[in-house]
Amino acid sequence: MGILDHVWLGVVAVFTEAPIASVFGLPISITVVMVVLGFLGGIVVGAAPGLGGPFAMAISLPILITIFGFNPDALLPVLGFMIGIMKGATVGGAVPAILFNTPGTPDSLMTTLDGFPMTKKGEAGKALRVAHFSSASGDTFSDLVLFTCAPFLAIAVEAYLDFPEKAALIVLSLAFISAVVGDSVWKGLLSALFGMFFAYIGTGEDNHPRLSFGSDALASGLPLIGVVLGVLILGEVFKALEDMWREKRATDAIAAPPESGDNRLRLRDIRRIAPFVGLSAFIGTMIGALPGIGSTLAATLGYATGRKLHKGDVPFGEGTPEGVAATEAANSAVSGANLIPVLSLGIPGNVAAVFIILATETISGFNPGPAVFRLVPDQINSEMVIAFGLFTAMVFANLLNWTIGGVFMRSMGVMVRIPKQRLLPIVLLLTLTAIYVQRPEMLAIYIALFFGFVGYLMRKLNFSVLPFVIGFILANNLEEAVRQAFSATGSDPWFLLSSPISIAFMLLAALVVVFFSRGSGKPSRR
Amino acid sequence: MRANPWSLGVAAVVAAFALATLAFWIPADIESGVVETFRRRTTIGDALAPTVVTVCMLAVAGLFAATELLRPRRESAPPDRQSLIFVVRVAAAIALGLALMVYTGPLTVDAINAAGGEIGSYRQLRDTFPYKYLGYLIGGTVMVGGIVAVVEQRLTRSAAAAAVLATFILMAMYDLPFDDILLPPNGDQ
Repeated sequence: MGILDHVWLGVVAVFTEAPIASVFGLPISITVVMVVLGFLGGIVVGAAPGLGGPFAMAISLPILITIFGFNPDALLPVLGFMIGIMKGATVGGAVPAILFNTPGTPDSLMTTLDGFPMTKKGEAGKALRVAHFSSASGDTFSDLVLFTCAPFLAIAVEAYLDFPEKAALIVLSLAFISAVVGDSVWKGLLSALFGMFFAYIGTGEDNHPRLSFGSDALASGLPLIGVVLGVLILGEVFKALEDMWREKRATDAIAAPPESGDNRLRLRDIRRIAPFVGLSAFIGTMIGALPGIGSTLAATLGYATGRKLHKGDVPFGEGTPEGVAATEAANSAVSGANLIPVLSLGIPGNVAAVFIILATETISGFNPGPAVFRLVPDQINSEMVIAFGLFTAMVFANLLNWTIGGVFMRSMGVMVRIPKQRLLPIVLLLTLTAIYVQRPEMLAIYIALFFGFVGYLMRKLNFSVLPFVIGFILANNLEEAVRQAFSATGSDPWFLLSSPISIAFMLLAALVVVFFSRGSGKPSRR
Repeated sequence: MRANPWSLGVAAVVAAFALATLAFWIPADIESGVVETFRRRTTIGDALAPTVVTVCMLAVAGLFAATELLRPRRESAPPDRQSLIFVVRVAAAIALGLALMVYTGPLTVDAINAAGGEIGSYRQLRDTFPYKYLGYLIGGTVMVGGIVAVVEQRLTRSAAAAAVLATFILMAMYDLPFDDILLPPNGDQ
């Protein structure tokens, strides 16, 4: 079976497997329905200030697994929903930024700079249309790069990297993520090291579960979902609640100024913003392909580059559509490219990718990494079919974005009126319930709350939580790769330096740490 | 500028944790060594990964402290007394909510049995109406309402109503469509 056969099987799996209804004789598969629901839900969540894609993915994952079960048939509907949320939330985040000067997500902070001035000038409709067009364009470009690059990168990794090189590659990825996320390399490294240390509790190959204090509760290791949701979601909830408690800010409903004049997106507008969209889409995709660098930096770089390029009457920052376009194209282009390290290397580079990994690890039947794109003569590689199914779901979500996304997005201004201080405690209870549903014992809730406190403390002390989570996820993979490399090289203690590629990876890891540790006052890029 | 005391404190705590782990925890709680040799075959033991990670922690904590001393930087908003007050209040709301969640159902059943109701144990009733909802509904409402009250610094009727409604919706969302799901705390009973 060749690559094209797998592509076709992936497309068929998305559109025909497990139909739940039919329209004009055409079957409507469960995956298609889940992508639509995820996409619309993502726009709603993205438009609610203080929430965002990761919140929705975290909460929906346990519910989806309860509905679809732990068998491989659940993979495409669950991943389709997650992809839908990821894309919808990116588009939805621009709504409160443009209408109310309140960024729904950190990525859309730069959107407020020109989006809200446009709203004040009565051009809210045009700003939203520009944001949608740019976001959809950036996202589509990024997805095309993902579809093209991920399989080839994976094939190259599989062909050239053996166990020592794979171990060295994980070390390099962890070093890179620790170095580029947050405001201090040392804090990033400590965060990753603690994540790894917690992952070693209760695991190992020996009969005695290590570092478990003889406790039965820790003997099977810390629950992945409890730790990840605790640090990522509960920690963020606690921090946001404290900020609101300190500010005691008014929660009165706010209203956007009325629209006036021509608010449609004309062809001349598209011609005007096209260079900015193209440049920012390229920047966002390049940034997104590197693990650990988030869409906030992409949006900032896209905006800064656009400002240098701009020669129009209205300067950046005073309500120009080019400013909105430059930001939205850049932050949306990150989402597809972020999956390149996941699908080709099995290394999650951002929070959305963490949830994709979490979903595949929980459901089983699909292990993101280079083996996914391995061709087996005369056999179907079911993981490759799932991967191409995932790509198909992304294309379908893009089509939704281009067709109904704009209209739905423009109707979401009402979401900003939901009081955040009442929404977040509900999110807390929802997260705890979701964790309990997966592992029905109160201990799972206590563990999640403990790690929620850890996440809160890390945020207070300016430690980025992403290296912690990625360290926790990759620690056992790294240990397994090291064990196999040690064994394969005949117990050579210098196995990490046994080939030019692994030496290069280890040198790069050291260089990345040294390079980023030199700047003492670099800005936060979380 | 002087070195940030929080950064130095974090480095000291991490270094102390790493030293204690290397000296006591790893030797006491991991049976295999860093490497194991059995029938002339050497393999990696369970202690290697935690040992390497802990040694790296110690080294990074030292470098972090040294960097802070040489090039101090200002933390944006380190924890202060207000943070502690907030954490204690929210923790109290969560603890009260969880305690009610865990004990409301069993205590209600015990009370009915003590009054001569003879309805059986909570374990037997944990998946039956209305007992299966008692703990979640009361505990969840108190948790959500309590946190909202902490943040808004007052308890309003609308906040209490929102907490009841939200908990009720969550309960219905999980319990009604799925027969095999147990709401907290019924899986433990």
